[in-house]
Amino acid sequence: MSKGEMIRAKRGTNSKIRTHKPMENQEFIPIQIKANREGFVLLPEESASFGEVFAYLKNRLENSRDFFRFTRMVLDLRFTLLSIDEIQSIDHLLKESCGAGLVEIKLKEGFSLFTERREKAAAPPAPSREVEAVPLIVRHTCRSGARIVSQSDCLVLGDVNPGAEVIAYGDVVVFGSLRGLAHAGAAGNRQARIWALSMEPNQLRIADMVAVPPRGRKPVPKRYEVAEVRGESIEVLTV
Amino acid sequence: MAGRTIVVTSGKGGVGKTTTVANIGTALAKKKHSVVLIDGDIGLRNLDVVMGLENRIVYNLVDIIEGRCRKEQAMIRDRKLGNLCVIPSAQTRDKDSVQPEQMKGLCEELAKEFDYVFIDCPAGIEHGFKNAIAGAQLAIVVTTPEVSAIRDADRVIGLLEASMLRDVHLIVNRLNDRMVKKGDMMSTEDIVSLLAIPLLGIVPESEDVVVSTNRGVPLVHDRNSRAGTAFQGIAARLNGEDVPHSDGKEVGFRDFFRKLFSGQ
Repeated sequence: MSKGEMIRAKRGTNSKIRTHKPMENQEFIPIQIKANREGFVLLPEESASFGEVFAYLKNRLENSRDFFRFTRMVLDLRFTLLSIDEIQSIDHLLKESCGAGLVEIKLKEGFSLFTERREKAAAPPAPSREVEAVPLIVRHTCRSGARIVSQSDCLVLGDVNPGAEVIAYGDVVVFGSLRGLAHAGAAGNRQARIWALSMEPNQLRIADMVAVPPRGRKPVPKRYEVAEVRGESIEVLTV
Repeated sequence: MAGRTIVVTSGKGGVGKTTTVANIGTALAKKKHSVVLIDGDIGLRNLDVVMGLENRIVYNLVDIIEGRCRKEQAMIRDRKLGNLCVIPSAQTRDKDSVQPEQMKGLCEELAKEFDYVFIDCPAGIEHGFKNAIAGAQLAIVVTTPEVSAIRDADRVIGLLEASMLRDVHLIVNRLNDRMVKKGDMMSTEDIVSLLAIPLLGIVPESEDVVVSTNRGVPLVHDRNSRAGTAFQGIAARLNGEDVPHSDGKEVGFRDFFRKLFSGQ
């Protein structure tokens, strides 16, 4: 890609973007693209806005479409925060422009989200799209703004708070209070079910059907117990 | 020993972040700690008004960051307490004038000199929020007993956790005992069980707050104010003292701690 083009594009947009960047930043790269053995690692710059990251990435991909074609991409978010929508738009961009797939999202050291089951290193991307059979387990409370999508069943070990969405192609199981939105059988399976220890949702969806809870219904408080290892023994806690 | 850097945030606007910063900061300064309050809301400054220092502003936060003055020049000393300072924000600039890295650097420098560094976070979860939380080790989330405020608080807690800020505490502001008893308002218990973070304090609804804000004198100077007493309790708890919650019931609390320890 010619550098002149990018700079011109930037100047054409909002002059505000440039105000907080020193002038020597003609070399400023909003997102680093590094090659490794399995594919490429995308590392967004901390100080770059999502608009800059997206525009730069789009430009790079379009200019080197063949180079990036059908490659496996890892998004490294250890130093920057992106929203689900932003990640999805990057994923969409990769697929659209050169058929590349986002296979892993690094959130912090030793903690990653995988968008497909890990295959052998350097294996070519499988063209067939099988429905994932391994259930997705979420080991924390889903807070407002969180969106969890599972290709199979989804198990939440915690609450689903108002404003959070849990979407699964299979069943949704909430080991806690379901106060947000749950969508089971999202691919159209009406046999799917939603389970929760306490059901006080904003909305329930199964396949193509939507339900709203009756107003004024007070859920009955329930109790459950959790066994865990404390020191050298297993203890049972009533929560 | 380096001081503690604490950000006060909420997501939703108008729940009392600035009032909280002004009062906790003043209460800690009254206990002879050195305290600096930073107004992180660049473009919409109001901490200086609440503290009654508006007419003494010469330099501001953006001036420090951009190197137009030393940080000592921008610090405004409180009228009553010599160990309390305010760094006002710039009214004429916007939030993009500061980057999270710069804010982090400033907080680290201030923490060397002060026992407590408070940052008043702007409403919202955009650039200004990221700036405000960049240098903090502890976050206080303020909410009122309204569904919308709690929803935003929940979102903010999620974002704080995603930013590796795990030490998050809750203040429930503007609680009306009478309405809770009648069942017209969410109780503290309900809020704590939903948000699942430790409760730092409950501040009752009070008209004194409006009066003190307009006068520019923090409530904690007024001994007869219930809200002022509540803020003093919060300051003491932050300082590691064991003060019982005067306005909340203690019942739901134990459940909550168990829930916390069970790893959720």
